[in-house]
Amino acid sequence: MSGAATHVRGKKTLARAILGFVDKGVVNAVLVIVAIFWLVPTLGLFLSSLRTVGDSASSGWWTIFTTPAQLTIENYANLLANPTITGSFWNTILIAVPTTVFVVIFGALAGYAFAWLKFPGRDWLLIVVIVLLAVPLQVALIPLARMFGTLGIFGSIFGVILFHVAFGLPFAIFLLRNFFTQIPAELLEAARIDGASDWRIFVQVILPLGGPAIASLAIFQFLWTWNDMLVALIFTNSGSQPLTVAIQSQLRQFGSNIDVLSAGAFLSMIVPLIVFFAFQRFFVQALLAGSQK
Amino acid sequence: MRSITHHRLFTPLAGAGILALTLAGCSQGTTDAAGSGEFAGDTLEVSAAWSGAEQANFEAVLAAFEEQSGATVNYTSFGDNAATTLGTQIEGGSPPNVAMLAQPALMNQLASDGNLQPLSDAASAAVAENYSQSWVDLGSSDGTQYGVWFKASNKSTMWYNVDLYDAAGAVAPADWDDFLVQLQLVADSGYAGISIGADVGWPLTDWFENVYLQTAGGEMYDQLTNHEIPWTDPSVTVALDALATLWGNDALVQSGAAQRTFPESVTEVFGADPQAATIYEGDFVAGNITDDGNSVVGENALFFDFPSVNGSAPAVVGGGDVAVSFTDDAATDALMQFLASPEAAEVWVPKGGLTSPNNNVDTALYPDETSRQIAEALTGAETFRFDMSDLTPSAFGGTPGQGFWQIMIQFLQDPSDVAGTQQALEDAAAAAYVD
Amino acid sequence: MFLIALGFLAPALVLLAGLVLYPILYTVVRSFFSADGGAFVGWDNYVTMFTNDSTFTAIRNNVIWVLVAPVACTVLGLLFAVLLEKIKWSTAFKLIIFMPMAISMLAAGVIFRGMFQESPNLGVVNAAVVAVNGAFGGGDAAYPGANPRTDVGLINDNGVIASEAAAAAGTEVNFPLVGVRADAVPASAAQAEIAGTASAGQITGTVWLDVVTGGGGTNGQIDDGKTGLPGIQVDAVEASGTIAATTETDAAGRYVLDGLGTESYRIALPASNFDEGYQGVSWLSSGLITAVIILSYIWIWAGFAMVMIASGLSAIDRSLQEAARMDGANEWKVFSRITAPLLSPVLIVVFVTLIINVLKIFDLVYVIPPGASKPAANVIAVEMWTVSFGGGSNQGLGSALAILLLILVLPSMIINVRKFRQERQS
Repeated sequence: MSGAATHVRGKKTLARAILGFVDKGVVNAVLVIVAIFWLVPTLGLFLSSLRTVGDSASSGWWTIFTTPAQLTIENYANLLANPTITGSFWNTILIAVPTTVFVVIFGALAGYAFAWLKFPGRDWLLIVVIVLLAVPLQVALIPLARMFGTLGIFGSIFGVILFHVAFGLPFAIFLLRNFFTQIPAELLEAARIDGASDWRIFVQVILPLGGPAIASLAIFQFLWTWNDMLVALIFTNSGSQPLTVAIQSQLRQFGSNIDVLSAGAFLSMIVPLIVFFAFQRFFVQALLAGSQK
Repeated sequence: MRSITHHRLFTPLAGAGILALTLAGCSQGTTDAAGSGEFAGDTLEVSAAWSGAEQANFEAVLAAFEEQSGATVNYTSFGDNAATTLGTQIEGGSPPNVAMLAQPALMNQLASDGNLQPLSDAASAAVAENYSQSWVDLGSSDGTQYGVWFKASNKSTMWYNVDLYDAAGAVAPADWDDFLVQLQLVADSGYAGISIGADVGWPLTDWFENVYLQTAGGEMYDQLTNHEIPWTDPSVTVALDALATLWGNDALVQSGAAQRTFPESVTEVFGADPQAATIYEGDFVAGNITDDGNSVVGENALFFDFPSVNGSAPAVVGGGDVAVSFTDDAATDALMQFLASPEAAEVWVPKGGLTSPNNNVDTALYPDETSRQIAEALTGAETFRFDMSDLTPSAFGGTPGQGFWQIMIQFLQDPSDVAGTQQALEDAAAAAYVD
Repeated sequence: MFLIALGFLAPALVLLAGLVLYPILYTVVRSFFSADGGAFVGWDNYVTMFTNDSTFTAIRNNVIWVLVAPVACTVLGLLFAVLLEKIKWSTAFKLIIFMPMAISMLAAGVIFRGMFQESPNLGVVNAAVVAVNGAFGGGDAAYPGANPRTDVGLINDNGVIASEAAAAAGTEVNFPLVGVRADAVPASAAQAEIAGTASAGQITGTVWLDVVTGGGGTNGQIDDGKTGLPGIQVDAVEASGTIAATTETDAAGRYVLDGLGTESYRIALPASNFDEGYQGVSWLSSGLITAVIILSYIWIWAGFAMVMIASGLSAIDRSLQEAARMDGANEWKVFSRITAPLLSPVLIVVFVTLIINVLKIFDLVYVIPPGASKPAANVIAVEMWTVSFGGGSNQGLGSALAILLLILVLPSMIINVRKFRQERQS
């Protein structure tokens, strides 16, 4: 084989090799169509949220392209003047932020122990964590509703946080342990020789080096909690309900609702979308590391 | 065979006493500065679900009481959480003096738990003077009177698009059969007679309740509500057969009902491009019409009473808010008496948003013709019953996707299967009424 | 050392033991008790689960979900990941496909419910379907939805409005129609007129809108204020089904069919006059609802599969494929013998993650279906919520359903644990 031929072939990417017979233009066209298909749902919701109730009830959002005069921010103005929605928006923050913080802290502590400390039964305990990764949260709904009722925290924001933290921990521990084991042992050894305690190693070596991993976890957990509906549906009341529950109750309510629904749904998406676009690298990393290692 | 006149006959004496009392109170309130009435220095706590405009209007009612009694009244809203909020407060030993409850079941439960104070003789007399027997019964639990119904809603209103009715030459019908004739006139003119939004089943249960109350009467209605007669009873067959004459007629009912939400069905009738001419639901439809913004209630959006079926007397299905008291003191009693008087309701009525079940409220005070008509239908009904699905166990009457709601959706889709529907309802009820 | 480890582990272990492990045990025990928890009922709840219609539908639907959704997401993800490498804007494409992962299933549900609405005026999918259909010659009738007046000897036979009795030449056949909106009648239409007497070989008549705006008039008679319906095609049909003559109505609704023989004809207004046109597909009906919800799921999760597989692809050592090609293997062989096996660990991870996720699907099924198709769309997690919290108040059955979910994820758990142990050994 001539060196030149090998060189040329080596530059071919795998995909090109697999689908070498497919024309590049065709691929571009297909993917453009796919991308449009994927964008239309979100775009439709966004445009719906900018139309009045009457318009939404009598014609589709696409008519906005022919009659742009329909555009109005009325729905958002109404939404922000609606105490139920604004209250639930705050509730969502009050639930999602502490949950994320606690999951990260507890997960990092345990992740460090699993990665670098030796103690009897470590592997078995880790297997338990891996098993818990897949446990459907449905198995805890009935007993925890009961337990929280007895403790007097049923319907409170604290109860929802507790639930999310507990069910976020297996993934957090697993993810962070995997990241932490990749930190070079020499760094920890050096710190230990300097007489640093495990706590100091954790704070001064592990946490700074594990920063990207922790960011990944935090983003993942934040979105997960922000978007939750099932847990909140059961464990909150009208005073502590987050946006998802407030919006879904509009689906079932008696009054006019398409205005609240579309604008509300879009409002609930704004924060996740900002987080996603700002930190998508970390988000992808969390997925990759969490499940692939 | 409930008689309103019967009560009017034997209560004038007590009524006169109350009238004198309230008049005296009024004169006191107006002459003396606030805070120096009979109950000056007393502070009462009142809670209800109302917020926003309703809260402001109710606070005006309370202010009138403050003025005449000298007591100070604080209002708190518990939103949708009457049961949990009151439960917590009772447990903590600090219930409000008076609360407004939207569910008779909650009143009954609080009464049987011994948390409520029975009405004083004077308050009972005021209720007897001002309310028809249906409301007296609804405010009682196990033979003792606890509640004063302050606000009511009328769920026996059939809303129609006046322009479409006029164009078709249709008019408000005399009874159910005429109703079908009028809807046919509308259908001939190219529009669907009626739009139904059956995405979730509750509007359909309201349909059934109205027809059943008309055909079977109040006594049977109560028995069915309490599941003392089975859903396989012949009286249910009669009601479902009547519904089937309409629901089974594709020419009259707009297609696609099963996937239409209730607000959408209002838009189908009163929106910019109406496709149907009639929509059935409670008085709150007026709010949906106003939200939609294409029709004007009282001008081209009017209603007629739910048509009489098989020659029945006027009957209204509805709901309301009942005032109950938790404390045994003179100031609380005075407030309860005040709430039972027409004067209390007359503070709110002109501001809009209140339909009073009080017979002696001056209907001229209602802010528009439509709200007056709603109120007159309510107080003029020979029979008034609470929405049945609010009185049954929630597994049966209050849950999307199952029980009463879901079975009525299936019946709408296949109105020919009356027997099967009855059996399904009976099975669901049998399971739900176990506890 | 042990104590230090315990110190680090304590918060997590306490929470996991108290809020995850203990509840599992509780739910297992609870599933053998009655609705209110008062009586031990043995396996009753599990029997109910498979015999009760609504729970059985839920279980059956979950099986459909597990069979369809993970495969569809993985295949799409693989396809996207492979094609991605051919385009310059791959980052943007990844972002677009992956973005739905960030939003809540509730919002996704609201979106898809709106998109698949039945009315082509409101739902974008049916709007597109109807538009495409229209482009291929869908109906554009003048008087959609018209019906004959009843009891005047006319029938509506699948859209064809015809006289019940056959008519001979020289007679008059009239068509009073209803169900046409006044504003749908063309401006050229005039007051309906009685057609002149038919000559030999002719059949005449009038087609009119038998409604007076504002009411009045006698049904079936041409009164003042009733307009003729112009432009309606009228056929004279022989007993054999052959059309003997055809014509159109004039501004006053009159028609004259000429050149007829001595036999009797059925006079018919063909369906093309009244065709309401294609109204799209009833996506949210019981039959299609699960397909629509699965579609929304794919919209969300295909991006996950794509990102995972793309990163797997980029990690593969390309020299093996090159070597195979040198040996003369074709592209399909290279893919199936070399690429796919190398990629299989990633594919398994994606697949297992999706199965775990699909089994407990809740939000989408809770939000998307309208009431009438809710029972048809039911899945275990929704049924579990309904029976234990949504008004069913049967926490015994609810617990049994939760345990069923747990049992269904067991294989995935075992795969996860095995994989972990293999990695430890290597």
